[in-house]
Amino acid sequence: MRTELERLRLIEEQLLNGPAALSAEDWQLRHLLDGELAADTDAQQRLYQGLRLAGRRQLRRELRTIHERLYGLPTNPWARLWQQLKPW
Amino acid sequence: MTAPSDTSPAASLRHALLIHREQALTQLYRRAFPSVSRHVLRHGGSAEDAQDVFQDALVVFYEQAVGETLTLTAAPSTYLMGISRNLWRHELRRRARLPHEALPDDPGPLAAEAAPETEETSFAVLDYVERLGVRCKSLLLAFYYFQQPLTQIAADHDYRSVRSATVQKFKCLERLRESVRAVFRAETIEY
Repeated sequence: MRTELERLRLIEEQLLNGPAALSAEDWQLRHLLDGELAADTDAQQRLYQGLRLAGRRQLRRELRTIHERLYGLPTNPWARLWQQLKPW
Repeated sequence: MTAPSDTSPAASLRHALLIHREQALTQLYRRAFPSVSRHVLRHGGSAEDAQDVFQDALVVFYEQAVGETLTLTAAPSTYLMGISRNLWRHELRRRARLPHEALPDDPGPLAAEAAPETEETSFAVLDYVERLGVRCKSLLLAFYYFQQPLTQIAADHDYRSVRSATVQKFKCLERLRESVRAVFRAETIEY
């Protein structure tokens, strides 16, 4: 992988506690050697938070589709009336 | 993906949600929603409130199940009923305080997890995720939110190997980072 992508992976391992995450001391040392690491880590953390929100939004869309399929108004008018009047 | 080595109910449910999400969610919906709906309707809510509350509960449930923080001591439908009752009680209290405001789009307890200063940036990222393009968005959400295994992601997205899917995932993440960099820069300047 390209160097930039490897850097994303390095930060990801640390943030998501992956199997290749560095020890606290090694991570601290990286910070001392790399002045941009803290800002990049913070930025990547925010990407994950945004992706979490986007994921929730996607899941809500899927749930609305399931709801429509299970409880949406049927084409038969009598069944539609029952769907609207039933108490649940 | 093979069956889970852990055979606890929570592990089986997690496996079902990861591999057959739509089917597993539909089953949970069918089993649990009628009781939740009855509860909300009997306690001053509308059919729409019941739907909102139940879907919020399912989001919480999904995240706990795939994040392996769910301990099931009862049937999933009972657990979902419990979360829904709590969310509805919370919503009723909120409405008593703020009677003219509608139910928020995102479930309260979930939204409250983010610190206020980062919440705005997260919503900005959300906009850029929506603009990423179908393939990148689907790949990133499958991995980072739905927590699907890379073997399944590679197969679903027609990548020849897990390695190709991994490289593509980081390329998509890089694209997203470049898109939102301006937002982060602006925020840093403000500080």
